[in-house]
Amino acid sequence: MNTHPPAGQEVADARAALEDGARPLAVERQMKRAEMTARQRIAMLCDPASFREIGGLVRDDDGTREERPADGVVMGCARIGDRPAVVLAQDFTVHGGSSGKLGSAKIRRAIQQAMRDGAPLVMLLDGGGHRIQDGQDSRHFANGSPTFHDFARLSGWVPVVSVMMGAGFAGPTNYAGMSDFVVMVRGQSCMGLAGPALVKAGTGEEIDIQSLGGAGAQVDTHGLAHLGVDSEAEALGAVRKYLDLLPSNARAPLPCSTPPPEDDRQAQMAKLVPADTRKAYDVRKVIARLVDPDSQLEIKPTFAKNAVTALARLDGRPVGIIANQPMQLGGMLTSPACEKIAHFVAVCDAFGVPLVYLIDVPGFSIGSSAEKSLLGRRSARMVYELGHATVPRISIVLRKGYGLGYIAMCGGRSFDADASLAWPTSEICAMSLEGAANVAYRKDIDRAPAPDERRKEIIAEMRARVSALRGAEGLGVDDIIEPEDTRNRLIEILERAPARRENAMPPKYRSISPI
Amino acid sequence: MDVKSEIAGKVWKIVTAVGDTVEEEDEIMILESMKMEIPVGAPGGGRITEILVEEAESVQEGQVVARIEA
Repeated sequence: MNTHPPAGQEVADARAALEDGARPLAVERQMKRAEMTARQRIAMLCDPASFREIGGLVRDDDGTREERPADGVVMGCARIGDRPAVVLAQDFTVHGGSSGKLGSAKIRRAIQQAMRDGAPLVMLLDGGGHRIQDGQDSRHFANGSPTFHDFARLSGWVPVVSVMMGAGFAGPTNYAGMSDFVVMVRGQSCMGLAGPALVKAGTGEEIDIQSLGGAGAQVDTHGLAHLGVDSEAEALGAVRKYLDLLPSNARAPLPCSTPPPEDDRQAQMAKLVPADTRKAYDVRKVIARLVDPDSQLEIKPTFAKNAVTALARLDGRPVGIIANQPMQLGGMLTSPACEKIAHFVAVCDAFGVPLVYLIDVPGFSIGSSAEKSLLGRRSARMVYELGHATVPRISIVLRKGYGLGYIAMCGGRSFDADASLAWPTSEICAMSLEGAANVAYRKDIDRAPAPDERRKEIIAEMRARVSALRGAEGLGVDDIIEPEDTRNRLIEILERAPARRENAMPPKYRSISPI
Repeated sequence: MDVKSEIAGKVWKIVTAVGDTVEEEDEIMILESMKMEIPVGAPGGGRITEILVEEAESVQEGQVVARIEA
């Protein structure tokens, strides 16, 4: 008599054992430390009933499927915003979300699937890195891992996104490091090369987990991740919005949406930017009026706040906005701001998103702390990325366009902009007027009977020579536009600008990033 | 409703007083930082019930500098 269950039943049982309903204790454990299970996270991220699991039935020779369901990595194809995507979620309830042999193979399979399909890869990370039980064996570990080679090839082909859901030290951080956009959940997730226990054992440093790798450190202070949010649901919502603003791959057309109806938001635009360059204003308010309502996703909003980078839509078309923020450090460019802008420009260029620069920059930071931060090279990377861009780019001087900052922000003819424009409030020159007076006219001022008066006089004379009008007279800018006309002008320019331009490079294999 | 400073700086000028009615985004006070005048705007409309800083005082990022009753 054959006691073996029918083949169909065996498969159905194996499949059922993977579901949260079959694992009440594991689910209970997870609910004590997080909002959702790996499968719930995938369900919330993806369009309803669109997830098709790959490798759910894996089983180690030495283990039962019940002990390590899906080997701790739930992975498959799905749809997000009605477009294909590849998703994976580490399951912390399976050996702390560590990557075993099969789990690692599944992550590699996900990368290959995203590469072949030309579909975004989303990783919901929550684990402790390599499974030590598997790793302490050279027969296995001497192979190394081809995952990072695969990640490097995937970069710039499809959007690669990570959400640090909970535990994220070591392996998950290495994956996030190869991602274009990383989201953390405040107070819950952490990331870094090694957690507090390993740090203490290796270096003696004692530090709590949030101070070492929480969002306050890794998002707000270091800029390792791009966004810190308050809940898992919010993190998944941010991923959906990010992917909605980008095409599925580098060769796919931009995902344009229906343009919003016309409104009267532009009438107030001029009031937002005071003509007096000493007066700060919030450039995010300018951006909010310029782009389609509620279309913005600010990238790194809490890091290097002296520069603002945001994906948004203009008449339905995705654009990348790069702006100086006078509210913070007067909008000066620092090393963190350069890194933030450089990476943002690379992402936009990879995925065909036009660049819109809003310039109000007093220049780059100077002094010993700026030098220590390698600003000489970080500023070079900012212009290097723009120099490689093949997408349309437009620059608009709102107010100050000073020095190398003006050039790095795509001012004038610096990077062959599709349009180079200025508001009537613009001042365009090599350095601040006060600075120039102090340096170049010092003797003149010192010798004058009333030095302060003479200084003011010199500044006034210079001010007359740095106006938007003179900039237009020399064809440095194409035109001077009124603030309230800016949105419509941008829309017109982007309608006519070719989506990509050939980058006329000599026949080399690659360029070398300054840093 | 808390009015918070978005930056670290020095209070340069307080342009409103307790009891004043303000609308959203109206300037409550002006800070100075990096030789720039940085306005602190009302997060919403209402009546100012408290001003918690004085001119020339240093404030930290995120510090509550005034309160408004909607």
